[in-house]
Amino acid sequence: MATAIAMPKLGMTMQEGRVLSWPVRVGERVAKGQPVLLIESEKAEVEVEAPATGVLRHVYVEPDATVPCGTLLAAVTAAADEPFDPEAFRQAHRPSEGPGRPSADAASPRTPSGPAAPPPGARAPAGPGAITPAARARARELGIDPAAVPGRGPGGRVVREDVEAFAARRAALVAVAEGVALEVPTTGAGDPVLLLPGFGTDVAAFVRQTPALASRFRVRGVNPRGVAGSDAPEAERYDVATLAADAAAVADRPAHVVGASLGAAVALELALVHPARVRTLTLLTPFVTAGARLLAVLDGWCRIARDAGPETLAHALLPWLFSERLLADAAASERTRRGLAGIVARVPPATLERTAAGVRAWSGTRAAALGAIGVPTLVLAGGADLLAPDGAAVAAAIPGAACVTVAHAGHALALEAPDEVNAAIAAHLAAAS
Amino acid sequence: MAREIPMVAAINEALHVAMAADPDVIVLGEDVAGGGGRADQGIEEAWGGIMGATRGLLKRFGPSRVRDTPISEMGFLGAAVGAAATGLRPVAELMFIDFLGVALDPLLNQAAKLRYMFGGKARVPLTVRTSTGAGLRSAAQHSQSLYNITTAIPGLKTVVPSTPADAKGLLLAAIRDDDPVVFCEPKSLLFVSGAVPEGDYEVPLGLAAVVREGSDVSLVGFGRTVRTALDAAEILAREGTSAEVLDLRSLQPLDEAAILATLAKTGRLVVIDEAPPRCGIASDVAALCVDRGFDLLNAPVRRVTAPHAPVPFSPVLEDAYLPSAERVVAVVREMG
Repeated sequence: MATAIAMPKLGMTMQEGRVLSWPVRVGERVAKGQPVLLIESEKAEVEVEAPATGVLRHVYVEPDATVPCGTLLAAVTAAADEPFDPEAFRQAHRPSEGPGRPSADAASPRTPSGPAAPPPGARAPAGPGAITPAARARARELGIDPAAVPGRGPGGRVVREDVEAFAARRAALVAVAEGVALEVPTTGAGDPVLLLPGFGTDVAAFVRQTPALASRFRVRGVNPRGVAGSDAPEAERYDVATLAADAAAVADRPAHVVGASLGAAVALELALVHPARVRTLTLLTPFVTAGARLLAVLDGWCRIARDAGPETLAHALLPWLFSERLLADAAASERTRRGLAGIVARVPPATLERTAAGVRAWSGTRAAALGAIGVPTLVLAGGADLLAPDGAAVAAAIPGAACVTVAHAGHALALEAPDEVNAAIAAHLAAAS
Repeated sequence: MAREIPMVAAINEALHVAMAADPDVIVLGEDVAGGGGRADQGIEEAWGGIMGATRGLLKRFGPSRVRDTPISEMGFLGAAVGAAATGLRPVAELMFIDFLGVALDPLLNQAAKLRYMFGGKARVPLTVRTSTGAGLRSAAQHSQSLYNITTAIPGLKTVVPSTPADAKGLLLAAIRDDDPVVFCEPKSLLFVSGAVPEGDYEVPLGLAAVVREGSDVSLVGFGRTVRTALDAAEILAREGTSAEVLDLRSLQPLDEAAILATLAKTGRLVVIDEAPPRCGIASDVAALCVDRGFDLLNAPVRRVTAPHAPVPFSPVLEDAYLPSAERVVAVVREMG
């Protein structure tokens, strides 16, 4: 038996929605309640869940298409091999009418529509912020604000397990300042390595570095304030000096500091202001003065994040962060874009704006200070980097610094050229150990 | 290892044990002796009830203690109330609980009220055995589960066993209880066998039993629906969900502590009843959970019942009418 997935009507005024992506492929099994489709309406991205357990049998509407509410989008059948005629199913599907749709029969007067009573036997839909009594009681016990807990129950309901998971995540945060704690995913054993991600990204941007480093070091990825699970204190600006102080608080012993782009700026600050915390410095695509193009990209990044969603943002950022070579490889490009969308989704617009203001304020202030850095330093540059093309100059200004350029790679060096980056870092850290 | 016998045989054993131990225990009802089985007609061995529950009692205990009655529930239940109030310990059979209507007054306004209204000076140690439930194609007038009505009457106790062992123990406890007890025999379980201990033992009234331990969701059933719950638990286990099954056994008194304890353990509770949904046991248990277990609820309390309709005669419809393990599993998946 086939079950329809139709464009939902998420509010009284919603007329249409846009299909963004199908995370599940045709032929894959789905469980009832599992997200199978991402749609966008009025700037909000919403996951649509499978209405039944079975197999995603047919997709009728491809990403980027905008269709009216009630339009048939896909079909799920209980079994992969049961007979199913996509065209017949499509013809039999009648888009469900909702309030606000014009009547097909213009001649018959319609009674003024008020809020429709749910049909007998229907369950009243959960309002926003639905939370079970057990979850609320547990939140009260733990001193957690239930509104802060993401809900994974039906309809986004917060259940007790969600509160427990939230509490566990918070307990794992590292306090760095008064009322500010950061998410520091840690893995491996040995001397500490701090990973500082770039603007608008979280430590998942180092996904190709972490396993290689974790075999020899204790790798601590620092999600900066406002990013992913880290606290996001109210402020006009997140200064680079503040981000560096946060990172210094995480480092309980002198650490090998690896920073990318803005993370490299933070690493420079660390080396200048908290030199005792820094054993070695690795700077991926660093800048000391933000060029006009970089500032323009930051500005666009903030705007797109505010006005559109992570999918759109990833599409827009791809050509700025990666090389022509990667962009020309359709499969690699698509894979990278999807990964990027996931990463940028975890940084809210407010954080982007505060951090961008911090970058603008910091830019140029340390240009003359690099001579004071006294730790072994490696600069990794991308030959096709459009945003921070002066890596070699940065290396030249730091006493004893080495510079390795990966000719074919763009600004997102760690993601685009992981093998070269990993080899260079391994050698740099080994030489200093 | 106890021998396995069907529930109807376990009930028969309980009656033998009770009547042998106490000369005041008498049995009356339609065809309990067998109609034709009367010594004055030269027929010694009786038929023993339409299902055989009272077999052998006439031969062993004689006609003054095992009495066939006319087809008049009002008459013989009234007589049973009178017998109980004047010193006997009668076990009257209301053949189908569907016939409750023609005999409600003796139970509702006499048996349930005498002890209370006489300030304890009168006692009514009456047991009413009655068959309940669907599943045997007996159609709308012989398949009802009206235990919700008797449960609702203060002064009456109501029990529903799900196994032969519980049937024997609960019936002995019911007969020995000094208050009127309605002993419900789910007809679809009468010929299902189970291990039954020998001899004399009681299962206390008002005590539920956890028949399967679990941690993710509590399935509460009684009578026929305990098997439904266990079958659902098996399916859920294969999907990685651990279900606990609670057999209520006793509807009044209700083991409220056991219900709240299982809710506290899992946070999620489903009640399964083969009766229709309005004003039934499922709603009663759900209300208890929401009223007294509010902070324990991690999901809505769900009720899986028959629809609000008479029991169908068509086998296909009757099977669709009764709660199934599949329906319970679907509800559990939906609950979140």
